[in-house]
Amino acid sequence: MVVRAACRSEKQSEEEDANASNQEDTMPEVKSIFREVLPKTGQLSMEDVPTMVLCKPKLLPLKSVTLEKLEKMQMEAQEAVKQQELAMKEQLQ
Amino acid sequence: MEVTMDPLFLAWSYFRRRKLQQCSDICTKILQDNPYDQAAWSLKTRALTEMVYIDEIEVDQEGIAEMMLDESSIAQVARPGTSLRLPGTSQGGGATPAVRPMTQSGRPITGFVRPSTQSGRPGTMEQAIKTPRTASTARPVTSASGRFIRLGTASMLTNPEGPFINLSRLNLAKYSQKPNLSRTLFEYIFHHENDVKNALDLAAQATEHAQFKDWWWKVQLGKCYYRLGLYREAEKQFRSALNHQEVVDTYLYLAKVYLRLDQPITALNLFKQGLDHFPGEVTLQTGIARIHEEMNNISSATEYYKDVLKQDNTHVEAIACIGSNHFYTDQPEIALRFYRRLLQMGVYNCQLYNNLGLCCFYAQQYDMTLSSFERALALVANDEEQADVWYNLGHVTVGIGDLTLAHQCFKLALAFNNDHAEAYNNLAVLELRKGRIEQSKAFLQTAASLAPHMYEPHFNLSILSEKIGDLQSSFTAAQKSEDSFPEHVDTQQLLKQLQQHFAVL
Repeated sequence: MVVRAACRSEKQSEEEDANASNQEDTMPEVKSIFREVLPKTGQLSMEDVPTMVLCKPKLLPLKSVTLEKLEKMQMEAQEAVKQQELAMKEQLQ
Repeated sequence: MEVTMDPLFLAWSYFRRRKLQQCSDICTKILQDNPYDQAAWSLKTRALTEMVYIDEIEVDQEGIAEMMLDESSIAQVARPGTSLRLPGTSQGGGATPAVRPMTQSGRPITGFVRPSTQSGRPGTMEQAIKTPRTASTARPVTSASGRFIRLGTASMLTNPEGPFINLSRLNLAKYSQKPNLSRTLFEYIFHHENDVKNALDLAAQATEHAQFKDWWWKVQLGKCYYRLGLYREAEKQFRSALNHQEVVDTYLYLAKVYLRLDQPITALNLFKQGLDHFPGEVTLQTGIARIHEEMNNISSATEYYKDVLKQDNTHVEAIACIGSNHFYTDQPEIALRFYRRLLQMGVYNCQLYNNLGLCCFYAQQYDMTLSSFERALALVANDEEQADVWYNLGHVTVGIGDLTLAHQCFKLALAFNNDHAEAYNNLAVLELRKGRIEQSKAFLQTAASLAPHMYEPHFNLSILSEKIGDLQSSFTAAQKSEDSFPEHVDTQQLLKQLQQHFAVL
């Protein structure tokens, strides 16, 4: 076993070891219907399937003092305009 | 007998304590009794100016007209590394869009927003009009003066008797002779009334009266020219002012002119000159760092921000930018330390808690993650911020595998901000996992139309179309994806695959 593992790629031998330990620890009670097929020779190939990508998490930029003041002033101005318009409407009625 | 304080002295006291409204009220009373009281008049102009004063160096909004009809730039097709308009030319090995989200103008998002970083420069007119109107990305303004005008009229609206000073009846020539009144009057006209033309008249006459030897008036002239879009004239005035007196502000104004003329290298040289005269000046160093960041040279921008922190270790902008850079270069633990530092310094807002939450999650400090997000949600100021917090929370829930909650989070993000393209894209991915192809496709198409600068929706749409056999639309989507992110390996592979398909046909 050890000698055979040495001539294969390291990754495969790791998988094999993991399988072996799995079988020893947990597998004995449940007998799988399907027999595992692990090719001992030949090339290992992997298909790279493109997957959907998520947009990345977005750190929110902090606001500069000037920007905060600008926004605050704009809010206040809008409020003032709204109130004046309301007052105008009431006068008309 | 009651002893009353001299009203003018009281007004001054209010002014120093920044109780500007009270100061202005007292001055109004004094002026009613004696309309020729120059001290009260001058103080009232100052108080009214202070109420709406914003740092002119920071104010910089480009409207669509300025962006699209710009004739002041020298080269329409600039060489790489010499223009702010070619965001793709990254030299510092900056983050790719695969890890760091991009703004609409194709720059990686920054850790700090200023009025000028909000606009960004879209490439085409169509793009400029279609830009999503969210605070954190790019916001086109129909006219640069839109906001200025609104502020100006607002200050008049709050005054029922009409404006304090009737500018059209003002004898500017008379006031320009009086140096002790003309400066406050100029600032009032410039900041409070936003009447740049009259301000320019006053400044021109005053600088003539000072025999062209007063640097202050030259700077003010330059400011007026800048607002009017006469950048070369503004440059002349600032240069001339620098000959009389070296002032940091003048360097900053002049650099602003060069940036508007799209000459970042000249601006960099200017900042370095300024640093020779004022070694270690933080605002100049910050200016250099900002230019590097805008030119997509994030690593050297970080170096300059670190220099800034050596001079001023409470500089919020530098800390935020370095922090976000660490986060997007896969070091959330270090980013967490920077954001924690900001918290210690007393920054207390939704954005900071949101960033802390994200950093905690990706640095595997799960105990703090959700409480940070809870605080962020408690501190939101508007719907766009709320949408962004829910969007990020969606990422956390995707990370822990609770896809139902993630679905709800992204839905909430869309409920608060219906233009949230990233949320549409992520929702589409989740929908496809549930096997709802049509729904997923609709979301992706919405995301792609909302944010054509992002590669994700195009790429996802391409994969989806390829899976259901619609090779033609898959190909067009993949091409769009390649346009916005040419280095993306998966897109290239997909394109190759599709080309093979077509070759077989």
